[in-house]
Amino acid sequence: MSSPSTAMAGDSPDRAQPSASAIGRVTNLLRRVPYAGRWCFAVAFLNVLIWTFVIPPFQVPDEISHFGYVQYLAEEGRPPPQGPIGQYSPQEQNTLDALSFVVVSGHGEQRGIMNSVEQQGLREELASSGSPVGEGGSSSATDQPPLYYALEAVPYLLSPSREILARLELMRALSALMAALTVLCIYMFLRELMPGTPWAWTVGALLVAFQPMFCFIGAGVQGDNLLFLASAATFLGLARAFRRGLSTKRAALIGLATVAGVLAKLTFIALLPGIALALALLAWRAWPSGKGQALRSLAVASAIVVIPALAYGILNTSVWHRGGVTAGGVAGATTSTNAPGQIINFRETLDYIWQLYLPRLPFMYREFSYYPLITTWLDGTVGQFGWLDYTFPRWVYTVAHWLFAGLGVLALVTVVRMRSAIRPWLGMLVCFAVMTVGLLAAIGDAGIHYRASTNDVFEQARYLFPLLAFYGLFMVLAARGVGRRWAPALGAALVVLAMAHGLFAETLTISRYYG
Amino acid sequence: MRVRVVLGVTCALVVGALILDMSGSAPRIADTDHLNPVGFFSSMLGGQELCQPQMLLPNDAQRVQVLIGTYGFPVPALAVRFVDSAGRVLSSGRIAAGSPQGKVTVPIAYPHGATANGSLCIRAGGRRKLVIAGDIVTPGPAADDVQGAIEGGRMAVVYLRPGKESWWQLLPTLSRRMGFGKALFFGTWTLPVAALLLLGLWIAVGRLLLRELT
Repeated sequence: MSSPSTAMAGDSPDRAQPSASAIGRVTNLLRRVPYAGRWCFAVAFLNVLIWTFVIPPFQVPDEISHFGYVQYLAEEGRPPPQGPIGQYSPQEQNTLDALSFVVVSGHGEQRGIMNSVEQQGLREELASSGSPVGEGGSSSATDQPPLYYALEAVPYLLSPSREILARLELMRALSALMAALTVLCIYMFLRELMPGTPWAWTVGALLVAFQPMFCFIGAGVQGDNLLFLASAATFLGLARAFRRGLSTKRAALIGLATVAGVLAKLTFIALLPGIALALALLAWRAWPSGKGQALRSLAVASAIVVIPALAYGILNTSVWHRGGVTAGGVAGATTSTNAPGQIINFRETLDYIWQLYLPRLPFMYREFSYYPLITTWLDGTVGQFGWLDYTFPRWVYTVAHWLFAGLGVLALVTVVRMRSAIRPWLGMLVCFAVMTVGLLAAIGDAGIHYRASTNDVFEQARYLFPLLAFYGLFMVLAARGVGRRWAPALGAALVVLAMAHGLFAETLTISRYYG
Repeated sequence: MRVRVVLGVTCALVVGALILDMSGSAPRIADTDHLNPVGFFSSMLGGQELCQPQMLLPNDAQRVQVLIGTYGFPVPALAVRFVDSAGRVLSSGRIAAGSPQGKVTVPIAYPHGATANGSLCIRAGGRRKLVIAGDIVTPGPAADDVQGAIEGGRMAVVYLRPGKESWWQLLPTLSRRMGFGKALFFGTWTLPVAALLLLGLWIAVGRLLLRELT
C-alpha cells in the first residue's frame, strides 16, 4: 500500500474528457482502465458466461424466485404485490414441472432432461405453456427492492424469443456482466490500495474472477449479483476518495454505488453505518481546504442515496401496496419471523453472531454443533453448489483448510511488514471494518431469527460476497508474504490454482447434472 | 523467469489432474424416473408383480436400480420386465435371491432399441413382504399396481448405462445431454464450444499473467 496522498504518475483522476456523447464518455472511461483491467473484465465475463451454459435453468439458488420477480415486473410494470397468492406465472410453473425442477434441486442423484424423448416433451410443454403473467405472490425475493429486477427486465423484454428459457439465458448474460463489472471494480480497488504493485491488481481480480461460488451465483438470475457489484463499487469509491480526496464527483459516485446497493438488496443497509462514517471522515479531512466543497460533496452523496430510497419507500406503501416501507424486507429477516411466543434476547443474538465467525468463549451458550467459520464460510466458499446439493470430495476441503491457513499466515506477515505504510490508511480501514462488522452482524441477526422460525440453517457463504474486494486483497497480501522477488510467482500460482478450482467445479457440475 | 516456470509447472499439473479425473471409470446414469425415494410407499408380497405405468425406458439403460427394504431378510429373486402399451416385452432381466436390502441393481437385456414408453414391472420371488422406495401419488393411472390392485405410490427408479465408463467415453453423451433442457439455441455444440472457450480463456490469462507479472 502507498500513502493515501500518493497518486500514480499520469493518473490524474478528474481530467476533463472532451466528449459530448454518452458513448464517447463511456469509451473514454474504458480507456482510462488499464489494459490488464479490461482483460480481467473480459475474462470474468466470458468465464461466468461459460458457467451460464453449464448450469441448467433454475439450478442457481433461488433463481426461480428471482426470475419470477423479473417476469412479474416486466409483464405488469410494477414489483410483485406479495401475499399468499401464486408465486410464479403459469408459464414458469409449467416449465419448472417439465424440467422436474422439484425433483432435481436439492437431490444430487437426480437428473433433468436426459434424452430426446424427454426433450421433445419439454419442447411441447414450452410451446403450449401458460401465461407469463402471474399473481406475484410472496417468495424469497419479492420483499427486495426492484432495481436488479428492473435491469433484468430489459433482456427479458428485448429477447427476440418469447420462450422462457431463451429469456432466462439472456438474463443470465446480464448477471454475468454484473459479475465482470464486480471483478473490474475489485481490480480498480486494488489499484487504489497498491498503486505501486500493478501485478497485484491483476492477480487479485483474476482470483475473484475464477472463484467458483462467485461464478456460480454470477451465472444465475440472482439479485445478489447487483449487491456484489454495488458493494465492490462502494469500496472502490471510498478507497479512491480516501486516497485522492472527496470531490463532488467522487462523492456522487459513492452515492450512486450506495443507492444501487440499497435498491438491489436490503442486506446492503448493513453497510450504511460504515459508509456514513467514511463520508463524515472524508468531509472532515476535506474541511480545512474548503468547507463549502466538503459540505457540497456530503450533501450530494446523501441526496443521491436518500431521495431514491425515500421514493422507493413511498411507492411501496402508497402506489404498489407492498405491505410497508421496505415491503417487509427488513422485518422479514428479523423479529417478525420468530415462532409464536419465542423471544430472542440481545445477549443470545450477540452469542450467535460471535460464534458464527469466531470460537465460542467459555461464558457463551453453545449456539452451533459445528464450527461455522470452517463449515459455513470456508467450505461454503470452496464449493457448495446447486441448491446446496453437491460438493467436492471431502479431501478437497481439508487441503483448502491448510492452504487458507498458510495464506493467512503469509497475509499476516505482509501486514506486519507493511505496518508503517498502512498507518495512513487507518481511517479508511476503520470504516471498512465498521462496514464488515455491520454485514456480519446483519447475517447473524437474520440467521438466529431464521433458525428460530424454521429450525433450519440460514447462512450461506455467498452472504459474505459483498466483501469480495477483501478476498482479492487478502490473496495479494498473502502473495506478498513471500517477499518481493517471489510474490509475482506465488500470485501466478494462486491464479492457476483458482482457475483449476473453477475448472474442476465445472466438471463437477457437468457430472452432477449431465453425468 | 520465475513466473514463467511457475505457470508452466502449475498448468502441467492441472492438465495431469484433469486427465486423471476424466479417466476415472464408474457406472453412469442413463436416466431416472424423476422421483425421489422419500419413503417406502410401494409394497408387494413374494410371488406378486408390481407394475409401474407411465415409464420411459432409455435406449442406453442396461440396469435398473431401486431401493428395496426387506425387514432385514435377504432380497428374494427379482424379475424385471419393461412392457410397451401393446404388452410386448421390450427388455427383461433377473437377479437371484440373496442380495442385502438397500440399493438393488437388476441387469436387463441390452440393447433393446430406441427409448420407449411403457410400464416397468418387478416380480418378487419367495413369500415375504418387500417395500420399494419412492413417493406418494394419487391412486390413479400414474400409481403402481400390484396384481391389478392400484397402490398409492410410485417407485423411484434409476437406470444405469452398461458397464463402467470414463468421462472421456461419456463425452458424446454429455454433449448431447448438455443441449437438453435449455433454450432452443443450445445443442450438442454447447459442451465443445464451452470447452474451447475455456481453453481460450486459459491461454489469454496465461499471456496476461506473463505480460503483467514478468
